[in-house]
Formats: sequence, structure tokens, C-alpha cells
Amino acid sequence: MSTSTLTLRKRKIDAGRWFRIIAGVAICLGFLLPVLWMISTSFKLPTDIFTTPPKIFSTFTMDNYTSYMQQADIGRRMLNTVIVAIGAGVLSLTLGTMAGYALSRLNIKGGATIGVLILASRGVPPIALAVPMFLVARNLGITDMHITLILAYCTFLIPYVMWLMRSFFAALPKELEESAMLDGASRLATFFRIIVPISMPGIVSTLIFSIILAWEELLFALILTNRNAATIPVAIAGMAADTENGAMWGALTAVGTLTVIPVVIFALMVQKHLINGLAEGATKG
Amino acid sequence: MKGGYSQPSRARLKANDLFSKWTFLGPTTLLLLALLAYPIFYTIQISFSELNLATFAPKGWVGWDNYKDAITDPGFLNSLKVTGIYLVLALPLQMVLGFGIAYLLNVEWKWRGLVRALFLIPMVVAPVVAGGVWKMLLDPLWGIVNYVLGFAGIGPLNWLGDPNLAMISIVLIDTWRWTPFIVLIASAAMLALPKDVFEAAAVDGARWWHTLIHVSLPMLASAIGAVFVVRWLGAVKMFDIALAATRGGPGQSTNVVNLYIYEEAFRSLKFAESSAMAVIVLVLTMIMTMIFLRTTKKLEDRF
Amino acid sequence: MPSRRAILGAGVLAAAMLATAACSGPAKESGGVGTVEKPVEIRILANDGYAKQWQEQMVPEFNKKFPNIKVTIDGVPYGDQLAKTMLELTAADPTYDIVMADDPWIPQMASTGALLDLKKDAADWTDAGYDWNDFNAAPLAAGEWEGVQYGVPLRSNMLMMFYNKSLYKDAGVPEPTPGLTWDDYMSQAPKLVRDTNGDGKDDTWAVGTYFTRDPLTPTVWQTIFNANGGELLDGDNKPAFNNATGVAALQTHVEMLKYAPPGASTWQFTEPLEAFRQGKTATMFNWGSVYKGTAIDPKTTTLTADQVGIQVMPAGTKSSGAHRGIWSGAIASRSQNTEAAWKLIEWLSSSEGEVWQSNTLGVFPARTSTLDSTPEHEWLSPVFAALKDAYADAETGKMWRPRLTNSDEVQRILADETAVAMANPNDTAKALDDAAAEIDKALSK
Repeated sequence: MSTSTLTLRKRKIDAGRWFRIIAGVAICLGFLLPVLWMISTSFKLPTDIFTTPPKIFSTFTMDNYTSYMQQADIGRRMLNTVIVAIGAGVLSLTLGTMAGYALSRLNIKGGATIGVLILASRGVPPIALAVPMFLVARNLGITDMHITLILAYCTFLIPYVMWLMRSFFAALPKELEESAMLDGASRLATFFRIIVPISMPGIVSTLIFSIILAWEELLFALILTNRNAATIPVAIAGMAADTENGAMWGALTAVGTLTVIPVVIFALMVQKHLINGLAEGATKG
Repeated sequence: MKGGYSQPSRARLKANDLFSKWTFLGPTTLLLLALLAYPIFYTIQISFSELNLATFAPKGWVGWDNYKDAITDPGFLNSLKVTGIYLVLALPLQMVLGFGIAYLLNVEWKWRGLVRALFLIPMVVAPVVAGGVWKMLLDPLWGIVNYVLGFAGIGPLNWLGDPNLAMISIVLIDTWRWTPFIVLIASAAMLALPKDVFEAAAVDGARWWHTLIHVSLPMLASAIGAVFVVRWLGAVKMFDIALAATRGGPGQSTNVVNLYIYEEAFRSLKFAESSAMAVIVLVLTMIMTMIFLRTTKKLEDRF
Repeated sequence: MPSRRAILGAGVLAAAMLATAACSGPAKESGGVGTVEKPVEIRILANDGYAKQWQEQMVPEFNKKFPNIKVTIDGVPYGDQLAKTMLELTAADPTYDIVMADDPWIPQMASTGALLDLKKDAADWTDAGYDWNDFNAAPLAAGEWEGVQYGVPLRSNMLMMFYNKSLYKDAGVPEPTPGLTWDDYMSQAPKLVRDTNGDGKDDTWAVGTYFTRDPLTPTVWQTIFNANGGELLDGDNKPAFNNATGVAALQTHVEMLKYAPPGASTWQFTEPLEAFRQGKTATMFNWGSVYKGTAIDPKTTTLTADQVGIQVMPAGTKSSGAHRGIWSGAIASRSQNTEAAWKLIEWLSSSEGEVWQSNTLGVFPARTSTLDSTPEHEWLSPVFAALKDAYADAETGKMWRPRLTNSDEVQRILADETAVAMANPNDTAKALDDAAAEIDKALSK
């Protein structure tokens, strides 16, 4: 093979690579357009939001961030949301990942049926679960507490985590744990020392997904909390509901913008684990 | 651990083995059983009763009455149909888009992480805000979408006011919201693929679609199956976007089943009737889920 | 697979817990109004739309009078408020002492036995100067069910007519007066749809109001129907709206869409409001409470007080119209602080409280004496005048949502069928027949 054909081929691959990058970024921008509109709305005066023709920029105001923020108690609610989302995300990730591993690798008698049942339990409309959960929580005296919300969220997060992780584990070569088990390591140790590290991309992605779902959940939060554990989505729903004086779109988009930021920062922070996947881990191990 | 003592009996080994296996599945099973058993039992129980609103406890067994009411309720039947249309349109679109974008983004690039993180945003925006912002964008009077289309001589289109367009708009908003989830999981699944497979294929000069069909897709089969099932279970329950963007209208054209049940229960306080509907939806969802799981399993086995 | 017995077992256990909790209600005590050493705490379950405003402004004002009653107000989004309130009220020891009830909710809440009979149970703690007869009949009736007063109007509101005087003048159409009839209004509507900048496309329209599938949408044609002497249900609670008067009323509402801006078929509360504030529609049928943000506050509106008129909705054969929307305050009968709870409601609905609230927060009063007083803000005067007419019309025409334990269900059926009629303007009669059949079925249960 001559060098010129190699360069040509490399160039071709390079061109393909840049095409993919540009197309990817373009699509991403397309998806972000409504978000940009939300952000621009959050800096508008109420009277500039519904103009014809639409104004992209208008009198710049921070009102929506300053005046309404304190009003709606956003700080404490944000903290509650962080506690509940991380609590529910981490708890369901731990339990769900282990269950997913059991389903994909351990051949437990009856395990498959349990797995399917757990998954199918997601078919219950949430509205049907919220009321009885509230009745139970009230009788146990645990309404309006973080732990109650965390546990409630686990009921819908665990099945998702379990099923997603099962598919990630299914893609791993079987020899991995076989060799470790032959060395005499226990199942649990093998799982945590060998399987978990190389499944990091899947685990991190699933964690992000779980946290986002818990982050924006409204129905359970509304029913199970009153004040101490009330989360951001409840506040947002309240703002979205019409006040006697009209809707507060400025404030609403401002809170919408604020709630996005922590999740994006979190996602950026954990991104590095998305690269250290099997590709490198397996060759080292 | 092989000690110098007497060899542990086979039975004990087996018991130990079983125990260690159940350490993985047991906690989840117990926790979910504890959390879900009563709520599901309660739902089934009141679906066969009248509900006493003074205590939220069932009073009086009414047999299948609530179920009869449900399946003769034109609104409920219509909402099942609407949900079906929405699922058939939205799920394939989101799957293809999601895996397509994940494939595009699966290149070595410095800013790839940032792009992937930004891609999550539509999923994070609270549904009421997302619905409202889309409503602003699509409005015929002050919406920027119609304004821009106007320069091309199109419209103004009544995106949310026309029965057919409204469904398309809901699918559009839902796709905007949930494609990022598929991108997220698909990206992770692609990262787990051995890189040399792609490199070898590229060096061999194999066409990209050849690589796609014969190399990538088979290796991704189980991920595709799992993502589909998770998205399906999420999509069946969609109601927040419809509530925020169209309120189920115009007419009943976007009144999906979970919105219908929600309004029956929370707005009309018909908890017993809505429980019967919830049980029907549960059974339908279970049947469909089983079918999907079977298909997935067959696909996994084939590759 | 989890055994059925396990599920049943867990269920029985939980059901038993429910039963014990339901029986162990505490003995009823009024709790007093607190002392410096032992203050009383009360909690209010209110709507998110005003919970914060009350907490920050109303509570300090109340505490000037009753310093030993600590008040916490939690807000709930409107859509879930009824269900949440019902759930909270059923507790043996309810979290909330005061609940806020929207106009049609009192029968639902009262039927569970969870509300206090204010004229009887609170009589001992009521100030001698508290004048029940000073309330306008219409708003007070929102808190009444089957002859018992469960709630007192704390935030009153009426569905009224707003008009843009500039647009009327530009179009050469005479400004509306309270005597305006629906026939006049509909014949003037085409003239109010105009192309003002000469680009060949209409850019201002005649009307904006509720058109989408929303429980409040039917209130528009219900008001027209009532103004023509119609009543939604007859004396035996049988539907009485699927007749010529009903069809004509709904037809008028549907026809308004023709004179409304493009996309108006999706409009609920906010959209007509924003369009009116942008000067895009000449009239608007909406809640009176939006007046300040529509005519006064330059942050939210492009209009000024000189440009905005407010009055009752046009007249039918019987009277002009206005649909009632009152937030009543009610007390949980199992609350342990009923006396303190009553003191708050009593103060806020007294002449003193009402004057303070309407002057400081711009909330509409329900008392005749307050409406007759001179408000601190000049802009309130025309609003008070319109409100007086509105209360009177609502009372004579019974312009409110049905007073039934399943009022919301009835209103939702009406909303569904109104949406059908909006989408198929030729089917108004059929839509009303369908609604009547469904409501009949719902009410005969």
C-alpha cells in the first residue's frame, strides 16, 4: 500500500469525522433553540413577552430573577430537590444496578419473572399510586419528609435502572467474572472490583437519567409534601398556574432556567467517566 | 476460600451460592414489594368499590360496575386510541433520532462532553415550562415559529389548534424532550463497544452503512431493546406535556389516557372509576411490555 | 413471584392502620387565640397564586391585631388543589386549620363533614360587630351549602367584560355600556376586526376569551345562557340547557371565534389577557382581578387606565351578566385551633380587613360597605362600580357553577362538549344533548 493512498484514506476518514461533528453540533443547537427562547424570555419584562411580531431581545431586566425568586422560596426548595434527587438517584442506582446484574448474569430461579414483574409494575398510572402512598405515609407520620419522597421515587427509578443496567451487563464478555471467580474472589467483590469499573459509562448515564427524572417529578412531590420537603417542580407548577393577575411567564422561565443549571453542571462533572469505558478498561484488565 | 478443614458439603455450597445471588436481587425485590404492594392492592380494591371521600376508604363492593363504566365511556376509549396514535408516531421517531445522533456524536473530539451535556437540557426543563415555552413558540399570533415560516410564505399554521396538527405538535415536543434520553443511553452503549471493530472496518474501507448493519446494530441489540422498553413505559404515562400545551384538545384529539385518568381522579374526584381505568391501563401495558420483551429477547438471541 | 398472600397481608395491615387512625380522632377543642407564653399556630392551605402574597403582607397585618396567632400558609397549584385539600381534610388530625375553597368546591368539601358550620360553631367567638348581612348575597352564597355557611368570601372575583376604548374609537363603534346586548355586540364584532397598518392582513380583532378545553370555558356561554333566563339544572337537578336558549348561547360563544385572533381556539386564561394587554383585541371576557395588570401596571401592559373600560358582560333578554368566582375561607372541623382559625377569617372578611386588603393588595371585596367606600386608589372606583352590577346580576341570574357535590365533574363534562362544539360549529345542539345525557348519568348515581 503506498503512502499516498493511506493519506487519502486518512483524509477521507477525517472528512467523515468533521461531517459528523458539524452535524452533531447543528442538531444539538436545534434542540437548544426552545431553551434559548426560554432563557431570553426570562430576561424580558412581562409586557414584552407576548408581542407581535415576537421580540428576541427587549428591555433587559433581572426582575424575574430577583423579585420572584424570594417570593417563591426557591432556595430551600432547590436544596430539597437536590437532596431528594441525589438520594433517590443513588439509592435506586445501587439497588437497580445490582438487580440488573442479577438478571443478566446470575441465572436465579424465578429471577426473570421477578424482573419482568418489577418492570411491568411501571404500567400503573402514577396517579393511582400517589393517593394510597399518601394514606400510608400519613398513617406512619412520614408525610412531608425527604425520605418519603426518596422512597416513592425509587418505585419508578429502580425498574428503569435495573433494565438499562441489565442491557449494559449483557454486552460484557463473560470471561471477566469467570477469571475473577476462579481467583477465589466473592461475587460481591467481583462485581464491585471488576464489573462496576468497566461499566462506568452505563452507570453514569443511568445515574444522570435517574437524577433528572427525580429532579422534575411533580405528582408525588405535590401529594406527599407540604412545606419542609417541597421541591422545585411543585413551585414551578404553582407559578405556571394562573394567578389572579395573569400568568407569570417571566418568573416561570427564570425558575426553569435556574433548575437546568445544576443538572448541566453535574452532567459535565461526571462526563469524564463516560470515556473510561470498556474500551480501555478491558484491555488493561 | 479453601480451608484445610473438611470440605463444605455440596448443599451448603449451594446454599451459599444461592444466598450470594440473592444479595443482588433480594433488596430490590423486598423494597419494591414493601412500597408497591399496598398501593396496588388499594387501587384494585377501590376499582371494585365505591370510594368514601370522607375517609378515602372503600365503601360497598360494586363488582365490575366501575369497569363497565370505563369500557363504555367514550372519553376513555378515545383516550386509549389517542395514546396509541401518539405512541406509534413518537416512539419510532425518537428511537431512530436518538441512536442516529448518538452515532454522530460518537467521535473523538475535545468538546464532545460539552455537547453531550448540553443535549440533556430539554429533558431537564420542567414539563410545565417546556409546554408553555413551546406554546409561545408555536402560537399563530406571537409565536416565532409562524413568524419565521411567514418569511417562506407558509402559514400562519394553527399548530396547537388544529386537531391533526396538535397531535403532531405534541409528538414534536415529546420528541424534543425525550430524544436526549435515548442519546444519553445510546452513547454509553456505543462507548462500551470495542473501538477496534470500527477502526478495522474503516481501514478496510467498509461503507459506513455496512458497518452499521453488520457490526454496530447487532452489538447494540440489547441496549436498543432496553432503551425502547424504558422509553415505552415512560411514554405510556405521558400527560404533563399534553396538559401544559393543549389541555387534551382541540376537542379530544390529544387527550392521552393518563391525562384522562388524571382528570377523572384529581379534577372530578372519581377515584373509584379512575382506579378501574388505571387497572385496565396496567393490564394493557403489561401485555404490551411482555410482547416487547419477547421480541427483544428474540433479537438478542439472533445476533 | 411475590405470593398473593404477601400482597394481601401487606394490604390488610395497611388497611388496619387506616382504620385505627380514622377512629382515634382527638376530642374537639377550640384552642383559644393564644397568649404570649403559649402562642397558637394555624396553617392555611391556599392557592399558589396568592399564598406568598398573603404570607408576606396579610399575616403581618393580622398579627398586629392577634400577635399570638402564628400563621403559616402553604400554596398548591390550582389544578391539584381540590384533590390535595380533600386528602388533607380527611385526616383525623388535619395538618391544615383553614382551607381555601374555589367557587364550586364548598359542596364537595362540606359533604365529607370536614368543615365547620361557621354561623353555629363559631358563633360564640364572633365579634358582635361582625355583620353577616353586609355581604353581597352572591359572594356569600359561594360559601353556603344546604343552608349551612361553611365559608366566607376572602377573595372575590367576577367574569366581566373589558374593552379597549382606543380600538372602539378607531373602528368608529360606540363604546359599550352596561345596557349593551349580545345582539348588538355580535353585530358590532365584524367592524372591530381590522387591518390598521394597511398591509392587507388583519392585525386587531374584536374579542378574546376562553375557547379551549378548560373547565372555565363553558362559563362564558353559561353566562350568556343565564342572562337569557336559562338555568343549567332544573329544580330536580335535571339538565335544562339542551334547548333553544342553550344552543343559542353556545352558538354565540362559538361564533366569537370568528372575530378572535388566529389561534384563539387554544386560548384559556392567559392568552386573551396578553392579547388584550398588547392592544390586539377590542374586548375581552375575563376575570375582573386582572384589571390592575391590564390598565395600570406598565410592566405588564401597554395600555393605560384611560384606554381600558370594565363593565358587566352584555345583556340577554333578562339581564346583563357576570360569572361568579369566589375564593372562600373554610375551617377544618377536626382542627384543634378552630377559634384562632376563625379569628383570621373573621378579621380578613370584616369591614376593616376588606378595606385593608382591597387597598393594599387590590383584592376585590364582598361587602356592600366596602364597595360603597372610597378606595385609596383612584383606579379601583370604576372597578367597584362594575363589581356592584356584577354581584347583582350574578344573584338574579344564578350565574355560577352548579352547587353540587360533583360540581367539578359536571363542569368538566360541559368543558369537553364545549370543546367538541368549538371544533365542529355545526354540532352545537348535539354537543349539548351529549353533555346533558352525560350529566344526567353522573347526577343519577
